[in-house]
Amino acid sequence: MDLGLDLGLSNLGAAADNAYDVVIIGGGPAGTSTAIYTARADLRTLVIDKGLTAGALGITTKISNYPGVPGPISGAELVEIMRQQAESFGATFITDKVVGLDLSSDPKMVMAGTGTFTAKAVVLATGSMGRTSSVKGEEEFLGRGVSYCATCDGAFFRDQDVAVIGNNDEALEEALFLTKFAAKVYLIVPTPELKAREFLVHEITESAKVEVMLGTRLKEVIGETLVTGVRVQPRGGAEQVLPVSGAFVYLQGGKPITDYLMEQLPTSVEGCLAVDAEMQTAVPGVFAIGDLLCTHIKQAVIAAADGVIAAVAVDKYIHGRKKLQIDWN
Amino acid sequence: MALLKEQDQQHLRQEFAALENPVKLIVFTQPFECQYCTETRMIAEEVAALSDKISVEVYDFDNHREIAEQYNIDKIPATVIMRGGDEAKDYGIRFYGIPSGYEFSSIIEDIMLVSSGDSGLSDEVRAWASNLTEEVHMQVFVTPTCPYCPQAVILAHRLAMESDLIRGDMVEAIEFPHLSNKYHVQGVPRTVINETVHMEGAAPEIMMLGKLKEAVA
Repeated sequence: MDLGLDLGLSNLGAAADNAYDVVIIGGGPAGTSTAIYTARADLRTLVIDKGLTAGALGITTKISNYPGVPGPISGAELVEIMRQQAESFGATFITDKVVGLDLSSDPKMVMAGTGTFTAKAVVLATGSMGRTSSVKGEEEFLGRGVSYCATCDGAFFRDQDVAVIGNNDEALEEALFLTKFAAKVYLIVPTPELKAREFLVHEITESAKVEVMLGTRLKEVIGETLVTGVRVQPRGGAEQVLPVSGAFVYLQGGKPITDYLMEQLPTSVEGCLAVDAEMQTAVPGVFAIGDLLCTHIKQAVIAAADGVIAAVAVDKYIHGRKKLQIDWN
Repeated sequence: MALLKEQDQQHLRQEFAALENPVKLIVFTQPFECQYCTETRMIAEEVAALSDKISVEVYDFDNHREIAEQYNIDKIPATVIMRGGDEAKDYGIRFYGIPSGYEFSSIIEDIMLVSSGDSGLSDEVRAWASNLTEEVHMQVFVTPTCPYCPQAVILAHRLAMESDLIRGDMVEAIEFPHLSNKYHVQGVPRTVINETVHMEGAAPEIMMLGKLKEAVA
């Protein structure tokens, strides 16, 4: 009988192989560029990322202006090339979601679904695809049918109908996970086509339990004590209520993603993090880069440049140097 | 056959080498009509075998009613984690249901905490707990597959360490459907405080403090 005790042990973070010099949260152009430089500087580097299509670059279809890459190339392909480059220097990438951080401990602790990792320095590169607002009923029914974690809550919906709302790797993975429990899974997709890795799209479309509703917006979560349905509207069609008892929401927006920090770092009114010229936040050894900052143009090449500045500063921080050392060639 | 793999046992032996004070695990079980009683007892016994600082006592819930009442146990499987030895102390730390999956980390972390005698909470939270005048009962509903849940469980248990008036229960939601229904639990972690106030998710201690103040206002 497997009781999953390994999950608990991995969560303790005491294993020696979970100790890194630098843990980078977010595997877009910013985080991956940091990884290329830190791994090449012989720093033990881990990148934790939710998936190739989780971020702004990953869902961009055609890029022709990234220097040195004439394109057109998809964002996911460009990120994949960067990752391969970082991996060739020894960086480790894992697909996971960070659920908590302790930035005050020494070393710092990064808690993810598959385990807890320790790091001398942490680089935040989670981008700005956080949601700016919720739909009507979403907050009211949180924990009473509305969920953001199918792995945590799927077992409450055995033999019931549920809806998954979103269009990325995470949404499709969670919808597939829910087919283990639910009688039927509606996948509500705001755009006209699915945007996720090919094998996930294939599995979703092949699943007898999943009904994909393309070009459909979530308007409201409705219920009494518990969720009883979701009101949705197909593009150009009339609103309808789907009778479900669970609504799993994985929608994205344009706000910096900082919820996992649990207020350990101050944010501006817009939700952005503040850094110094070396990309260091108010907490020594904690750096923030890319679209988490509101100070510049949101372009992949600029995020990548942020990542390099942070990498040099991480090396300086870890080795106690007084000056930046930029001789990695 | 052991539930814990040999390499995991070795890892935990090393962790437990840092234990300062003795820790006692008390398991309440029953041979029949308890889905995970056997496995819960096995987990406690296997963990206790890894350190001479950890002891375990096992009681039959039906045949040892007076002991169950002494520890305020009303459902099984139940595990109490308390300070052992000459200065034994029950902090009010409870696990109802099997501490498997991610919750196995909670039981290990609790052992380390109880042995150290230090909750690790902030001065502000400690000060609030030391001035409490009424009882606080925190029930943290979890599932074993929830990576966020141990944070909420450990916070409730840290709080229990700070005051004899605070009890912190982990409740495995799927094993106790009547409680999940009673408290409308369809998402975890969900912390129910004194039957009236609830908190969704793994909240930082300062946010939880706000909810605790609301519950005793």
